[in-house]
Amino acid sequence: METPVLKVTNLSKTIKKKEIIKDISFQLNKGEVLGFLGPNGAGKSTTLRMLVGLSRPSAGTISICGHGIGDDFVQAMSHVGCIIEGPDLYEYLSGYKNLELLGAMSPQVTRAAIDEAIALVGMEKRIHDKVSIYSMGMKQRIGLAQALIHQPDLLILDEPTNGLDPQGIHEFREIVKSLAKDTGISVLISSHLISEVQLMCDRVCIINQGIIVRDGAVTEMLSTGEIVWVLNNPYHGQKILSEQFQLDARITAQNELIAATDLEILPIINAALISSGLELKTVTTKNTTLEELFLSLTNQKTIQ
Amino acid sequence: MLNLIRNEVTKLLLKKKLILIIGLLIIFITLLSYGQQYTYEKNIDRFENLSGAGTYDWKSLASQRLNDLEKRLDSPYIPADGIASIEIEIKQLRYFIDNDINPITPSAAKFSVDFVEQGISLLIPLIIVILAADLVSGEFSTGTIKVLLTRAVPRWKILLSKLIALLLMTTLVVLIMGLLATLISYLFFGQWGFDEPVATGFRLIDGQLNADAVILVSRFEYTILIYSLTWYVAIVIAALTLLISIIVDNTVSAIGVLMAALIGGQFLQFFLSDWPIVKFFFVTNLDLTRYLTGSYQPIPGMSLNFSIITLGIWGLLALLLGFQIFSRKDVLV
Amino acid sequence: MIKKIWPLILIVSVALILVFVTGLIIAIAITNGGDKNPETLPNPAETIETEPVSAANSILVLGDSIGFGVGDEPDKGIGKRYAALIDPDNTITVANLSVSGAISADLAALVAAPENAAFISAADLVIISIGGNDLSRLQYQDALSLDVTFQETLNRYQESLEATISRIRALNPEAQIALIGLYNPYPDQDPQKSQKLFEWNYQTQLIAAADNKTAYIPTDEAFKYHLQTYLATDQFHPSSIGYQVIAETLDRILNGID
Ligand SMILES: Nc1ncnc2c1ncn2[C@@H]1O[C@H](COP(=O)(O)OP(=O)(O)O)[C@@H](O)[C@H]1O
Ligand SMILES: [Mg+2]
Repeated sequence: METPVLKVTNLSKTIKKKEIIKDISFQLNKGEVLGFLGPNGAGKSTTLRMLVGLSRPSAGTISICGHGIGDDFVQAMSHVGCIIEGPDLYEYLSGYKNLELLGAMSPQVTRAAIDEAIALVGMEKRIHDKVSIYSMGMKQRIGLAQALIHQPDLLILDEPTNGLDPQGIHEFREIVKSLAKDTGISVLISSHLISEVQLMCDRVCIINQGIIVRDGAVTEMLSTGEIVWVLNNPYHGQKILSEQFQLDARITAQNELIAATDLEILPIINAALISSGLELKTVTTKNTTLEELFLSLTNQKTIQ
Repeated sequence: MLNLIRNEVTKLLLKKKLILIIGLLIIFITLLSYGQQYTYEKNIDRFENLSGAGTYDWKSLASQRLNDLEKRLDSPYIPADGIASIEIEIKQLRYFIDNDINPITPSAAKFSVDFVEQGISLLIPLIIVILAADLVSGEFSTGTIKVLLTRAVPRWKILLSKLIALLLMTTLVVLIMGLLATLISYLFFGQWGFDEPVATGFRLIDGQLNADAVILVSRFEYTILIYSLTWYVAIVIAALTLLISIIVDNTVSAIGVLMAALIGGQFLQFFLSDWPIVKFFFVTNLDLTRYLTGSYQPIPGMSLNFSIITLGIWGLLALLLGFQIFSRKDVLV
Repeated sequence: MIKKIWPLILIVSVALILVFVTGLIIAIAITNGGDKNPETLPNPAETIETEPVSAANSILVLGDSIGFGVGDEPDKGIGKRYAALIDPDNTITVANLSVSGAISADLAALVAAPENAAFISAADLVIISIGGNDLSRLQYQDALSLDVTFQETLNRYQESLEATISRIRALNPEAQIALIGLYNPYPDQDPQKSQKLFEWNYQTQLIAAADNKTAYIPTDEAFKYHLQTYLATDQFHPSSIGYQVIAETLDRILNGID
């Protein structure tokens, strides 16, 4: 089996006598996009800081492409590009100068690699302007270029869309998605936005209060979810579901009919609904499933 | 490594710090040169008034003194070990008379030495603090430290590159200081004065100033000596500033801490001068240039060697501690 | 831009570092006395302790032309004559740093100068003749301005003399100091001026009285009735006999009569 790009085992971190990360383990394989989902204060940034060597784990090991971050820092970091609560740029320099300075720190970065990264994030036009006059979106693009100029195997992004406007968020996601698809780079992306993780990630780790409460493929998590029917008469539908399929369905304020069921029997249910004379407008898997899951997973914990 | 150093130098240069420092120096030097010129003219006026209507005749006074010294040299009264210092004074006076230079005339060379002699315990340290205070703390407050430390470069190399860049820039600042002091004061005085002879090499023997080993050097050589001492002080301050910059991770506090240390240290020296510990404090030892002149008040147990070693220990400890802290620090910004 | 000047910056600063390090080493070498080894140099403090202290072994004469011995035979003067009186074997060294025409401020500057410190700290007896030029340079038009300028000059004289003595004391706490009083070379002057001289000498005595080992050596009375013989041909400086008289007065005051 191939060595995972990132392997985290029994990682803990205590800051000022408070245990912030409690014995978490996960791994990231080549080409995978992993979402690191959790509410504010869950410990996402704290974890990612340890992954890139900014802070020292209290316990546990981290290895990147087989190199332990503690004992082989330089080798490990040569495979990583990251933005941790960034972007962090020298405001008094131009975007290009920022990249050039950073490029000088890794021997393999050529001028061409810098230009390529700039093209990738679509900053060719404004690259020679001072960073201080950039918009947040432009800064985040330069931040991404910074993380990419040395062609890493693992890209670690900590809430990269924070502070961007919707247009910026959209563009940024597109860049990362196409990057993952085209170059086969593995991406670890943290977020407190479910939609973001759902849109970009193959797999998700849900973290709350320093513990990974759920780890799995996004589709897998969704498949345990519910189905939403939009019907002209949801009450009639509810009756059919309970009588014919013994399903306990509920009706939302938007007049949607919702019930948990297996996807295999969905065509049969749909046929029954239509044959009973109901007008079936749409059938969808409930796309807020992850959100609900997330809320249910995180709420119980925050009550303590 | 050279790349890393170049990066740090680039950042230092593009932060416009150097421009600020040059600006400050120009203002100070211009004011002080003007002041010296003014005082000098005042003094000449006073002399002329004193000696009646005639112009102030330094030359006849100097010649008189020269004759006198020469006579004294012939006299059998003079003990052998005093002859050397008389000969030195004769050489100096001859130079001034032969070259028609009034010894009290201000010159660019004299000013450039006076400037650092006055500035060595406060102004110059402050300038170095301005240069170095945000070297690390600035990266923390902008968050860019995260970008630096997540590259495939070990932390000690990052800090070492900063240290070397700081060393280079500190050296350049000392050069700039010397050049500005010389050039600007030349505009005021119109005299270079670099080949005037200067007496130096006073020693302390049993707590008393001893002039037996005094030698004459040209003002140019003397200036180089003085600036070498200034440079040494500057790099020690740079090392201390770097340490503080690592510890406090915010530039304003770094400058505050260092200013408090510098100014507080002077106070300490003033109020607690009897306390023997005070002479081991770095601020007490900053004024290295006084040891080259014959006019300093000897303090028991302090000499150029002592001060250089004390400062060196402070600087080395600061670096040692700085590297320790920097390579272990959790970056939580 | 930076790329282009970077090599320059590097070369200049590295070269300068070399220069400064060399300068530093030279500065250290210079203050440590270069090639000379401090141990082999005569140590002034020891000199005082190791040699017999019964009489002065090393005499330093400071001050003006009278200190210098103007009017006396060559190679004489107060210091030499006094040395001959107390030590016929001629083992005493006499150094003379007097400057003709010196006023009290010149003397203060002279003792403050570092190059003279060695003389001062090595001396067992310091003979000072000063003040005559301060007083003879008084310029005035009338009695009123005489009073004013005299007072000013006297004040400055006191300050300078006190500074001189305290500097000598700082360098050499043990030495005996002798202040030679002024005499009046102009017997026919108006009495008001003679009174000034008297007042002047009185102030000198007060300063001498402030220090245990500072003596005032009066000359006025001794000279008063013998100006013809005690003054040199210039009618201002003492003659050989005059110097001998001062030296003997000094001897009598410091050592008494056996
Ligand atoms: N420097 C620190 N000192 C003490 N507690 C901290 C520090 N940094 C973070 N924390 C705590 O650690 C927890 C996790 O923080 P963080 O990793 O930033 O969360 P996230 O990035 O998931 O929003 C929070 O409860 C926060 O209060
Ligand atoms: Mg965070």
